Order: sequence, then structure tokens, then C-alpha cells
Amino acid sequence: MAPPKSSPAASNVVHTLWKAYSGQTSDRLKFIDAFLVFLMLSGIAQFLYCVLVTDYPFNAFLAGFSSNVGQFVLTASLRSQVNPENKNEFKEVSPERYMTLYCGRS
Amino acid sequence: MVYLRSLVFLIAGLATTLHAKSSTGDSVLVVVEPNQQDNYSLFFNGLKEQGYDLTFRAPKAETPVVIEYDVANFAHVILLAPETKVFAKDITPQSLVDLLGKKTNLIVALSPKQTPLSSLAAEFSLTLPPPGTPLLSYFPEREEPASVIPVPVPASHSILSSNLPPVWFSGAPHSLGNNPLIVPILRAPAASFASETDGGSPDALVDAAERGGEGLWAGSQLGLVTGFQTLDGSRITWLGGAAILSDEFATKEVSKGVPSGNLQFARDVAKWTFQEAHVLRIDRTTHHLVNTTEPLELYTTNDQIVYTAYISKYDSVSSSWVPYSGIKDLQLEFTMLDPHIRTALLPVSNEPGKYLVTFRAPDRHGVFKFLINYKRKGLSFLESSTTVAVVPPRHDGYPRFLSAAWPYYTGAISTSVAFFLFSALWLAGDSREKRAKGHKAE
Repeated sequence: MAPPKSSPAASNVVHTLWKAYSGQTSDRLKFIDAFLVFLMLSGIAQFLYCVLVTDYPFNAFLAGFSSNVGQFVLTASLRSQVNPENKNEFKEVSPERYMTLYCGRS
Repeated sequence: MVYLRSLVFLIAGLATTLHAKSSTGDSVLVVVEPNQQDNYSLFFNGLKEQGYDLTFRAPKAETPVVIEYDVANFAHVILLAPETKVFAKDITPQSLVDLLGKKTNLIVALSPKQTPLSSLAAEFSLTLPPPGTPLLSYFPEREEPASVIPVPVPASHSILSSNLPPVWFSGAPHSLGNNPLIVPILRAPAASFASETDGGSPDALVDAAERGGEGLWAGSQLGLVTGFQTLDGSRITWLGGAAILSDEFATKEVSKGVPSGNLQFARDVAKWTFQEAHVLRIDRTTHHLVNTTEPLELYTTNDQIVYTAYISKYDSVSSSWVPYSGIKDLQLEFTMLDPHIRTALLPVSNEPGKYLVTFRAPDRHGVFKFLINYKRKGLSFLESSTTVAVVPPRHDGYPRFLSAAWPYYTGAISTSVAFFLFSALWLAGDSREKRAKGHKAE
């Protein structure tokens, strides 16, 4: 992310984006996004630790990292399903079923 | 081994009153010309008193045969026929080698004459000088001819009694090859040399001395009495001359009032050759993990292994095997083709005959052997080999949790915990929304 002061135009864009996001996104989607951000940060942290410090118990790294990635993908798909904008694409799937499928897959 | 042990029990049962016995049997065949038999009566009587059962046979006599139906008839054979050129057909150099393979011990006397036995000596890495050249020495000054020599005995020799007076010797020397199985017992005096008796011209001698090397047979590197222990454990002793065992030399004084050491020397040589002394064996060996007692067939890499060997020495006085802790340089090898570990196997104090070592198995899997290979001049060879497998840890043999992996554990656990929290909050939020919606509808 560019520092806001050095390039006012860029900061303006980001600001607009943020405003639009916080204004138009429902709380439930924001909640999912928070979870996604957490998963992403956790995955990045593990990957950096593996690259910079040690990959010694490599299977432990694989387990931790892949569980993160998997959870991220599943949560992202959940997000796309509960997003009201995609309602037409998932007509036949009830919201309860999303959650059941989501939990089952996890 | 079983045969040997039963033989020992047999001997112990037969004669508990006799005072010194061989560990391999007490039947002795003496091949000697009948008219010379009385020349060695002191030596023979000494053997009889010890309990040996002597059988005499002329060199050309047909019976008793040494090997019958592929079994050696005697535990020990003494060949005191150094000048015989033709032996009975069962005594050939080849059959003597066979005898050694059947654990029979031999004492063989040589002479300056060329006989079938001289060519046999070459097979034991002893090189004899040309025929007709006995050992001569003009020192010390004495009345005897130059070919009758008082030979000083080494003061401390593992086979001989300590501080023996000089022994009289007459016969041919031999030079020793570099065969590691040779056990030198008596060497020629420094001032002695091999030459034709009297007939030899001084010029030829000077010539030989100037050429040096193979032309010269002189000095203390020459052997007079030399032992040889085969890999089977049988022993053969070569005497440069039969006279060293004779009554004449045994009773002859080396200087005024000092009797010669011949009789005791002959006794010591027979004691070593006939497996009375310097006879060791490994009774048993065990191996197990530290803090356990049962031997395993499989060890895991990096295990701490305890290896124990029990060693006995034959005691001829009591005719029994007694635990022996006197070996200080025993080694254990843990080998897979090459020794991966070679370590000292030391005696345990307070437990006679027990040798123990604890070591870490190498970080390498494969089929390994515990090896003891102890070969020292004059002692019986100790060999033991036990095969075990060393395997990598089984699938459940690794540590369950590694402290180094905690960052990754944290990642995985936090993901699951976050998932549960998320699901719970999500569902809670869902029902709240519905309720809200329901309120609105009302």
C-alpha cells in the first residue's frame, strides 16, 4: 500500500474504496472478511517463518499452512454464496445448506 | 566346541590325581627311531609323569597310523626323527598339515640334513639354510665343539619360565618369515652363524659376510625354536635340532655347578604346544539394551547397547577352565562391512572373566555384527561373531511432538479455534437476524 501523504491521488482512491466497502458491505460479509484476513495473515506468517527461520518439521509446516489455505478457500466460497449480489447464481441452495456444507467441508 | 568340552570333562573324570593336563587330550604319538628312544628318556618320563599317554612308533613302522577314517588318533604328535629321509606312507608333509587341521598339536625336530620335513618348514614361513650347515659359534670359549652352543634364554618370555639358565643347542637355525602366526620362542646368539662344520673354508664365510643378505646366516635374527599357531588353534613347534630335548644336554652343566635349562625349556615348550598354557576361550557373549536383560534381534539406530563377553582360561593344574580377566587390550567391533564402531572391551572389576562395554548404535541401519577378533602371539585366538539388525525407528518410535514445530502447531490450532469461533458467531448472528426479521414482520 502506498503511503497516503506522498501520493494524494492514490490515497484518495484507497479512501474511496474503503468508504465504499464499509458503506455498502453488510456486517455479516465484513465478519467473513475479518476471518479471511486473519487466515491470510496467519498463512503469511507461517510461510515467512518457514522460508526465513526453519522448515525443520516440514510436515508440521504443511499441516499448518494447508489448513490455513483450505480454510481460506472454503470461507471465500461461503462468502460468495451468502453474498446477496450473487443470489441469482445460488438460487437452489438455502442459506442453512451453505453453512452445513461449509462446516462439513471444514 | 562341544567335542572339546566333552574331552575336557573326560580328562577331568579320568585322572583327577594327576597334576597337569592338556586342554585337548593326553594321547601322544612319538615318532622316534627305537635305538634313539632312550636318548630322550628324561623328557619322555616328564611327560608321562604329567599324565600324558605316550605311544612310540618307528618312522618307518606302519602302525599306529596318525589319521584313521579321517579322524586323528592322537591329540599330540612329536616327530623326533630329524634325519629320517623316508617315513611311513601316512606321515607326509601333507598329512601333517591335515593333522593340524584336525586340532592335533605337533612338535617337529629339524636337522641340518635335507628331509621332507625341511620342505614342510618352508610352508610355515621358516627358511632353512642350505643343507649341511649347522649353527656354529666360537663364543663363549668352551671345551665343546663349535656346533654345541649354550644359548641364553630371554629373561621374560610369555611362554618360557622366567630366568632360565642357558640351554644347550645343536642343530640348524632357520630364518623367520613375516607370517603373523609365527611365535618365536628361542633365537640364536648374536655371535653364532650357520656354516659347514669345520670343512667350511673361512674364505667362503668372509665372502658370505661381505655379500650380506641372503648369503649370510648369522646373528640373533635367526630362530632356533619357533612356534606356530594355526587359525584353527592347533599349535606346532619347530625345533632346530632334536638334541635340545636330549638327556645329554639336560644333564650337561652350562658352567660349573649351574645345570642347563634344557629340561625346563623342553617342559615349557611342550606345555605351550600341547595346549596346557596360554589357552583361552570365549564362554559366551550377550547383548542387550541398557537397563534391560534380554538380547534383541533388532536394535534401533542410536540405541544404547550393552555387550558382554565371558572369557575363560585353561588351568592345567586343576584341569579346568577358570574365568580370566587378564586381557587388557580386547576390542569389540560393531561392523557392517566396515567396523562402524571399534571400542575397548574392558574387564569388569569384581566379576572375573566378564568383559563389558556400553556403546551407542550408529545412526545407520543395516545388518551389523558384534565382532571379537583377538589374535595375539602365543595366546589362543578369540573369535566371536553375532549378527543383529539395526533398523530405523518404527513409525510410532519417533517423538510425538517436537518443540521446534510449535509455530506451525500454533498456526493449525489457531485456524481450528478461529473456525469454531467463526461458525458459532455466524450461527448466532444468523438466528439474531431472523429474530430481528421476525420482529419486523410482526
